[in-house]
Amino acid sequence: MKKLVSVLLCLMLTAAMVTGCGSSDAGSGTGGKSTKETKETGEEKTADPEEYQVVMVVKQSDSWFDDMATGVEQLKKDTGLNVSVQVPETGDAASQISIMEDLIAQGVDAICVVPNDPEALVPTIEKARESGIVVVTHEAPGIAGDVDLDVEAFVNEEFGKLFGEKLATAMGGKGQYAGFVGGLTMETHMAWYKAAVAYIEENYPDMECVSKEPYEDGNSIDGAHDKTLEILKAYPDIKGFFDCSAQGGGICETLQEKNKTDDIKVVSLALPSMSATYLEDGSMAAGLAWRPADAGYATCYAAYLLASGQKVETGTDLKITGYEEVEVKDGVAYGNAPLEFSADNINDYNF
Amino acid sequence: MKTKKLDRFQGILLLIIIIYSVFVAIKNPAFIHIETIFDITRVASTTLMVAIGLLVVMISGGIDVSFMAVALFGSYTTINIMIETGIDNLAFAFVSAALIGGLLGVINALLISWLKLPPFIITLGTQNLFHGIMTTFISDKSFGAGVLPESLHAFGQASVFKIKDVGLTASVLPVLLAGLATWFILYRTMIGRGIFAIGNDEESARRAGFNPFRIRLFVYVYSGILAGIMGMMYVAQTNALYPNKLVGDELIVVAAVVIGGTKITGGQGKIFGAVLGVIIIYLLNTTLIMIGLSSSWNNLFVGTILVISVAVTSYQEKVKNRNNLIFTE
Repeated sequence: MKKLVSVLLCLMLTAAMVTGCGSSDAGSGTGGKSTKETKETGEEKTADPEEYQVVMVVKQSDSWFDDMATGVEQLKKDTGLNVSVQVPETGDAASQISIMEDLIAQGVDAICVVPNDPEALVPTIEKARESGIVVVTHEAPGIAGDVDLDVEAFVNEEFGKLFGEKLATAMGGKGQYAGFVGGLTMETHMAWYKAAVAYIEENYPDMECVSKEPYEDGNSIDGAHDKTLEILKAYPDIKGFFDCSAQGGGICETLQEKNKTDDIKVVSLALPSMSATYLEDGSMAAGLAWRPADAGYATCYAAYLLASGQKVETGTDLKITGYEEVEVKDGVAYGNAPLEFSADNINDYNF
Repeated sequence: MKTKKLDRFQGILLLIIIIYSVFVAIKNPAFIHIETIFDITRVASTTLMVAIGLLVVMISGGIDVSFMAVALFGSYTTINIMIETGIDNLAFAFVSAALIGGLLGVINALLISWLKLPPFIITLGTQNLFHGIMTTFISDKSFGAGVLPESLHAFGQASVFKIKDVGLTASVLPVLLAGLATWFILYRTMIGRGIFAIGNDEESARRAGFNPFRIRLFVYVYSGILAGIMGMMYVAQTNALYPNKLVGDELIVVAAVVIGGTKITGGQGKIFGAVLGVIIIYLLNTTLIMIGLSSSWNNLFVGTILVISVAVTSYQEKVKNRNNLIFTE
């Protein structure tokens, strides 16, 4: 009996140690080395990518950020840059902050982050920059003044207009509609939402948004599902939905349950692996995205350029499709890489 | 005498539900529809499942905050097996998830019995441990509608019966079964008596001939099995599988069970009470849009009702003790 207990306990402890330290292990091992090198070589550090350690902190673990990780892997293969991805356990600012604190302690060369709540990260970002770490964000133009650079796949207003345009076309330019964001604090989601609504107001006077503020799906498919159920009851005449977070599948799922896929159109931020079925069966009219792998690639490459003392200006090539000639304005580097999905082209993408 | 008082408490909960429903119906007549009941049933079905499991644990004087991690572990692992091997069978999905859930329940029970630490600490630890093992050793990929087993999606969309195009979700079946089984175990078997007995006083239960270790093993395994089944229901309903969902939502279930009149210290609790607790939370949660309030009101409502119901339970306990000439304070 007692033996069994001790064996079990040992097993649990080992498991805990592996799970607990697994993620930071890889980082700290190489991290220690590279900081030492930096200290030894001091100012003479060359522009060789292999000498720089860049860490990307994503929002959470889902297929979107899985794809971003493949882009980062690709960058590592292409250039030899010492770059890795850290995935927070939960999709909130607190877990991102604790990961960043660890990275600051390790003394990495650059941190790339896709903030869950940009404003909340600012103090940590300042701390990182004070200790000489380059910080590059993605999807956070609002705090561009507090970071070294923010990389965007496109001008957010333009992308938001696309939501409005696609939805209006699908709905035939008239009827009630509602919009979702992941959360009201999510800056890019809000920018797209506002641009979409403004675009529709301007061009389609017969369309009406049912709420003043967007609904929150909490970045979860059941959140989108449950809220849609409620909206359908509260606004029985609704004819369209758009979702600025990639959870449009939850809306389509609800419409299928209620047999309303023909009457109600859905446009959503979409990921082929999660939304292909809905685009193919017609319950989702259009999907919009940018390639997360490319964005991750460009963001980390920009971080390397800055960390090695090079510049990112209008016209700089970030070495990946859509970002060959970025446009830099007020600390934000805009690419030109929106991606539109329909039933016809969805199978051309495998992320 | 005792049952009458409990019923009065459930009566209060029912009254809250009715008053609130009338209020929503006045604000928005669209609420008065059989569809509303069906929708709330569907949305609440997964939570009901784990609430029943948690209720049994709490009656025995324990607590389990690892059940969401168990649910995720069970369903995620099973789906991975099914995708790898191409098995597309509903029975396999549920049995496998339930078995994995039960196994994790065994780990919980053994740790609690042998380490003699508060169950809250142990299950808080195993929650992270299970989730960590899953994301590290099994996989941390997400799966979308296209790759998930078709039979599961069919179950998620299926209806037991339909009234004018509006169907009652098939997910209500496992919940009903679990409810009946739990009622039978609690009130018609020796184990059930044992669960109430060790919840009231473990030492007395031991002297009366109950084996606390076995009873504890039973309740955590039972909670694990229900959690596994719930994980599968969740996947069937959402038709998507993420490695980071569910975990973190356990406290709202604890709140629901406590609102239902379950004593946190054990020995007292009713299935119908837990059901009412879950319904209250979901009723508040799914009507905010109808009455035009933002989602932050949800926390306010749930918090208020939680505090009131805990206060009422403790007050009733005090009155009962005084009547029996027991003075604890």
